[in-house]
Amino acid sequence: MLDRSMPSRDTRPSLSFMIRTRIVNADGANAGRLYDIAVSTGAEAGRVAGIVVKSRAGLGWVSATEMTGQPDGTLRLSAGARLEPLRGDESFVLLRQDLLDRQIIDVHGRKVVRVNDVDLQWFGKAGSPLDLRVAEVEVGLRGAARRLLLDLMPQSAISAIAARISARVIPWEFVDLIEADPARRVKLKLSSERLAQLHPSDLAGILEDLAPAEREAIFATLDEGVAADALEEVDPALQKSLIESLGPERTASIVEEMNPEAAADMLNELADEYSESILNKMDEHERHEVEELLEFREDSAAGRMTTDYVQVAYSGNVAEAIQALREFEGAPETVTEIYLVDGEAAERGPAALRPDGPSPGTAPTLAGAASRKPVLKGVVPLARLLLAQPETRLAMLADRRFASVSKDAHQRVVADLFDRYNLRALPVVDSLGGLIGVVEADHVIAFLRDAR
Amino acid sequence: MTGRARARYLRNRLFFLLAILGPGFITANVDNDAGGILTYSQAGAQYGYSMLWTMLPITLALIVVQEMCARMGVVTGKGLSDLIREEFGLRLTFIVMVLLVIVNFGNVMAEFVGIVGSLQLFSISKYVAVPVCAALVWLLAVKGNYKSVEKIFLTASAFYLCYVVAGVLARPNWRQALTATVELPGRAAWHTPGYVYMVVGLIGTTIAPWMQFYLQASIVEKRIPVRKYSASRWDVIIGSLFTDLVAWFIIVACAATLFVHGHGASGLKTPGDAAEAMRPLAGKYSFLLFSFGLFNASFFSASVLPLSTAYTVCEGLGFESGVDQSFREAPFFYWLYTLLIAGGAAAVLWPGFPLIRITILSQVLNGVLLPIVIVLMLLLINRKDLMGTYVNSRLFNVVAWVTAAVVIGLSVVMMVKT
Repeated sequence: MLDRSMPSRDTRPSLSFMIRTRIVNADGANAGRLYDIAVSTGAEAGRVAGIVVKSRAGLGWVSATEMTGQPDGTLRLSAGARLEPLRGDESFVLLRQDLLDRQIIDVHGRKVVRVNDVDLQWFGKAGSPLDLRVAEVEVGLRGAARRLLLDLMPQSAISAIAARISARVIPWEFVDLIEADPARRVKLKLSSERLAQLHPSDLAGILEDLAPAEREAIFATLDEGVAADALEEVDPALQKSLIESLGPERTASIVEEMNPEAAADMLNELADEYSESILNKMDEHERHEVEELLEFREDSAAGRMTTDYVQVAYSGNVAEAIQALREFEGAPETVTEIYLVDGEAAERGPAALRPDGPSPGTAPTLAGAASRKPVLKGVVPLARLLLAQPETRLAMLADRRFASVSKDAHQRVVADLFDRYNLRALPVVDSLGGLIGVVEADHVIAFLRDAR
Repeated sequence: MTGRARARYLRNRLFFLLAILGPGFITANVDNDAGGILTYSQAGAQYGYSMLWTMLPITLALIVVQEMCARMGVVTGKGLSDLIREEFGLRLTFIVMVLLVIVNFGNVMAEFVGIVGSLQLFSISKYVAVPVCAALVWLLAVKGNYKSVEKIFLTASAFYLCYVVAGVLARPNWRQALTATVELPGRAAWHTPGYVYMVVGLIGTTIAPWMQFYLQASIVEKRIPVRKYSASRWDVIIGSLFTDLVAWFIIVACAATLFVHGHGASGLKTPGDAAEAMRPLAGKYSFLLFSFGLFNASFFSASVLPLSTAYTVCEGLGFESGVDQSFREAPFFYWLYTLLIAGGAAAVLWPGFPLIRITILSQVLNGVLLPIVIVLMLLLINRKDLMGTYVNSRLFNVVAWVTAAVVIGLSVVMMVKT
């Protein structure tokens, strides 16, 4: 066997080279070999907290404060340091056990990758207490080559070869561990904060790449808003397995945060009983929105529409429209135009419609199936609203001709209208001309891609 | 039940059966590839019905091994190469992957030999057939998605029925064939030269290492939930039964024609020879069915093998993979995939290429790889932390280890002999 002790200390050793490093007692006697490296999480993230030593007595644990790095690369225990037995529930990340050959999330690159090696970095001088930190994780060919060649040739030769291979590394601050055990996830202080910053589509892509246990563990730690956004983006089969793992209670609170149209599509895929139990746990308001959408055929305009849109009385002015936008409860970035409705009809709705003013966006769905929806009279693009004076009457800004579609129209018709009139959004009306929802461009794109 | 209700009930059952057919059924069928058909034809031509008894134990072994993969895929949601990498480290994974690439390259070559052989029977030049088929194979995977490809594969599997028809047309002695299936042959048969060797060959061609990787990966890709596991198990069982039923009919067809007329296996060098030899004995239809069956099988396997190899290797070694990625995003995946197809195709067109030597090398390495894969599988599937309550039962373990021991023993014998 080759001796693993390095002739001179490498300032950036890799985990694979460090494993089986010789560890000596204060008096220089052999104490064992390095088996694993424990790294702190939380505030001290990345710092080596201790070493797991394999000795004749089995595996033992020694804290980093009780050892010093030697100039020849070995590690020396300080006087009086003892190997503690390993309990198995330490709140440290073990590099070999938790990282090597495992999958991690590259938060920066937004994907799931497999760890080939871990690069560490020495701080402080040789002879001072151990100050070693994780620098980056190797996921490319270089790390793999180093490990495959280990023991087959001297380390200096391996380093020379490795230096010629271009590296693919992920800095430690962009590494997110995948821990399937929720209790340990908490203990390791693994937060999903950084995942929450990702675009929902990227997060969905990551979830799709993981095995079920890990996927569910990570999904369970996301807060409801983030989980809802991600859930809208994952494919239907996966949606199903994810929410079935959560149970109706938590699913309900996530579904409340979802776009009603996406929520209805998702619930449609579930067994009736289960979707019923989710709906029952939901807030009155959101449940009503979703239930209304569930009534429509999935391939009709109404089945594809959302009920989150902004409507204002036809007689209103720009200031009132801006106010309605401020009060809009849906995602503001999805709004491309506002809808002008027959003021008289709008008043009849039981919801928060002010007698003379604009109505908050989601009001019409609260009107219930029985009452008439306010009739759509005009459409104002958002940009035109932005350029106009606050007191300008909305009727002056509205396009005289605008496209709308009947709720029963097939989604192919919807796609045709989008194409013909270069639309970004298309209002959906009932048989009496009442505005009941809006189809957005992304749903048309999704449909067209599915149809291919 | 009234007649109509009964018909509806039966129809529903049939649909249920068809709906659960998927990865297990496809994997088992791909297994009857050009090499497999050649081996079955030789077995039937040389030893007649006396080879049929092997079908029952082989089927059992196939089900046992495949079921474990399906179970691991459903429970862990990870591919076999992923699991090997995570639990046994990079070096062992690397060795397994290198072996797998060589073995599978040998198989891909054999598929192209099968394509050439079958199309030559229809007088299509190999210089046309091979490039066209290679291009089609390449496009099928790159342009298709899993769902549409699965449908194509399931349809291709149905075409294996033409071997059943060919078997019936060969007018075998049914009583003799059925008896030989359930009865061990007399002592004399075992002393026939090459008999043991042929038995080994039959098992070797039926249980191949790539199948375990392919099956488990497809199950993972299909995202089959644990509670639907029993459907996957039926998928595997039905697939294995169907595959071996087809194999049984190939042996019977050759036994009833080539063996009965004393043709022997000496003339059967390539997979196409059996069809050619059958023409004067069993008529035009048997010939057509045999040739078409061979083309279907070779083309089908040639589509699955390179793709499965590229996926498995990239998964295990952590390279980007998948046909939904672009060439720039997953260069290694596409290079490996393309080279396997192009290399396999070029090998059969290149006059001086050491085809036979590479085939033998890949068979030897197959014998090395198979025991490794089966042992790793058994170690993995008995791990409680991975499989929970789905670890092997004791009885299953006994059956599985015996299967493994037999397969390993036979592979070693095979290896030493080649």
